[in-house]
Amino acid sequence: MRRSIVWTVLQREWFETVRNRLLMSTILIPPILLTVAPILLTAAVGASQLPPELEQQVLAQRPEWASFTPGELAGAFAVQQFLVFFLLMPAYIPLSIATFSIIGEKQARSLEPVLATPIRTQELLAGKAVAALVPGLLAGWVTYAIFVALASLTYGPALFGVVTDPSWLAGVFLLGPAVGLSSVVAGVIVSARVNDPRVAQQIGGVVIVPVIALVLLQATGTLLVGAVGYTLLAIIVLVISFIGLRIGVRLFDREAILTRWR
Amino acid sequence: MDAPSESTELALTAHGLGRAFEDRWAVRGVSLAVHRGEVVGLLGPNGAGKTTTVRMLTALIRPTEGTAMVAGFDVHKDPESVRTRVGILTETPGLYEKLSATANLDFFGRLYGLSAEVRAERIERYLRLFSLWDRRDDLAATFSKGMKQKLAIARALLHDPSVVFLDEPTAALDPEAAFIVREAIETLRKAGRTIVLATHNLDEADRLCDRIAFIRGGLLRIDSPAALRGALGGHGLSVRLRDTASSEQLGAVRGLKGVRTAEMADGLLQVGAAEPETVAPDVVRALVASGADIVEVRAEQASLERVYFEIMGVTPGADSLEDRV
Repeated sequence: MRRSIVWTVLQREWFETVRNRLLMSTILIPPILLTVAPILLTAAVGASQLPPELEQQVLAQRPEWASFTPGELAGAFAVQQFLVFFLLMPAYIPLSIATFSIIGEKQARSLEPVLATPIRTQELLAGKAVAALVPGLLAGWVTYAIFVALASLTYGPALFGVVTDPSWLAGVFLLGPAVGLSSVVAGVIVSARVNDPRVAQQIGGVVIVPVIALVLLQATGTLLVGAVGYTLLAIIVLVISFIGLRIGVRLFDREAILTRWR
Repeated sequence: MDAPSESTELALTAHGLGRAFEDRWAVRGVSLAVHRGEVVGLLGPNGAGKTTTVRMLTALIRPTEGTAMVAGFDVHKDPESVRTRVGILTETPGLYEKLSATANLDFFGRLYGLSAEVRAERIERYLRLFSLWDRRDDLAATFSKGMKQKLAIARALLHDPSVVFLDEPTAALDPEAAFIVREAIETLRKAGRTIVLATHNLDEADRLCDRIAFIRGGLLRIDSPAALRGALGGHGLSVRLRDTASSEQLGAVRGLKGVRTAEMADGLLQVGAAEPETVAPDVVRALVASGADIVEVRAEQASLERVYFEIMGVTPGADSLEDRV
């Protein structure tokens, strides 16, 4: 694989992405909301306490929070719900970019001239995949960094410790990229068969379902996933993504694109 | 990468080339040779296999059977080298509409591995050649259909390909845009480019091509437009003389190379010849030398449309071509 060709594809992808207002709004607005919302919510619940049953349930799963005051415990529980939202960014942003990119090229019929050059299909796929993945990861990581800074400034060391503990780091820096990759793979596979980016995003959005399930489990206190849990989830998602990637590479074959993509 | 092979005079050869999609053959048995600097037309109705043939010859899809060498490289064994050396104008321009004309060409120049200096020089050269230089910074989306097609042709030429394939370059264009594109192709022809032109436009093929290959599911026939007309018969020269031609004058004409028949009919001397325009000067000289007074000489040929219907085995209006493909 020639990096200069991948870089050429990637640059063009980003150039077109920043010129697509609809796509840019879906990339930029949610991270801003997801940064501010947790802080406001934590502020709202910070003065109150958790119900005794839930408090016991939370402390059973997170014994390291036993030293927290009731207010800090309520704030820690509230802020913990938002980790999964930082996984949503690497999930939906790459999906949006990949589907817009591939289906956009199908509609404009611009893939055939590209495939007529000496480019290898792996290079084209790699350029598109990285161009879709990186903004999602960066959005998640930058938003997380801002969130950590605001949380520590506003609520002090107790909550800073919560949002930078190993479970958060594993979630943001291991599970996030894995979810991002699965999102790109879903985007490629679905875009090969569908001709409307919005339909593709709805179908490809199935990758977000496990993340939503995680939100519900955490919100009810049924399961507060720790660092090991996030690492295991990241491995499982990566394995599934690589299996999907093999299917994606087959669908991204030169002949398949020219003769079977409709 | 293998070294180029086959004759350096030949830009392209194909032997028994065919492609099946599942159990249906799109095209089969295509054998042809295209010389350097030659313009060859692939003529046939929609669905005849022209685009499939172009895609096989540009190493975009693999042939199911047969072999082809393009610019000295085998489409089976070294498709990447073939793609490096051919330029293709696809059925639709397929431009990146949110990029400027320059950015579109620069992107493709980079995919072909051209250096920044070479890209800059060629982008300017081709944008000027096709009168797009003043619009170089405008988005492709703002271009007319004809301008888009010219930009796509510039894109196909950017890496200085050995063979240029133009697939339906004027399809779906209005007459003005089609004229602009034909002028662009004529410019390439004069520059000595080897061009394979897939079209179903008879007039376009007649005007631009040195030879025309008739395709419908396979290669039916390939020859020069004049020879194709000549092969049909019922053509030649019609010569009006002041007096009826004498037997000596008829004999002088019949003895010329390229003349099949010469006889008086309806007060005109009808000269049968495969290539009337080639024999016309000799006929005129022979008649003048034998004392004939010539009033008018007219070349009469079968129209390419008639040739087309004859070769395709189609009776116009009898049934639709689409039904037969």
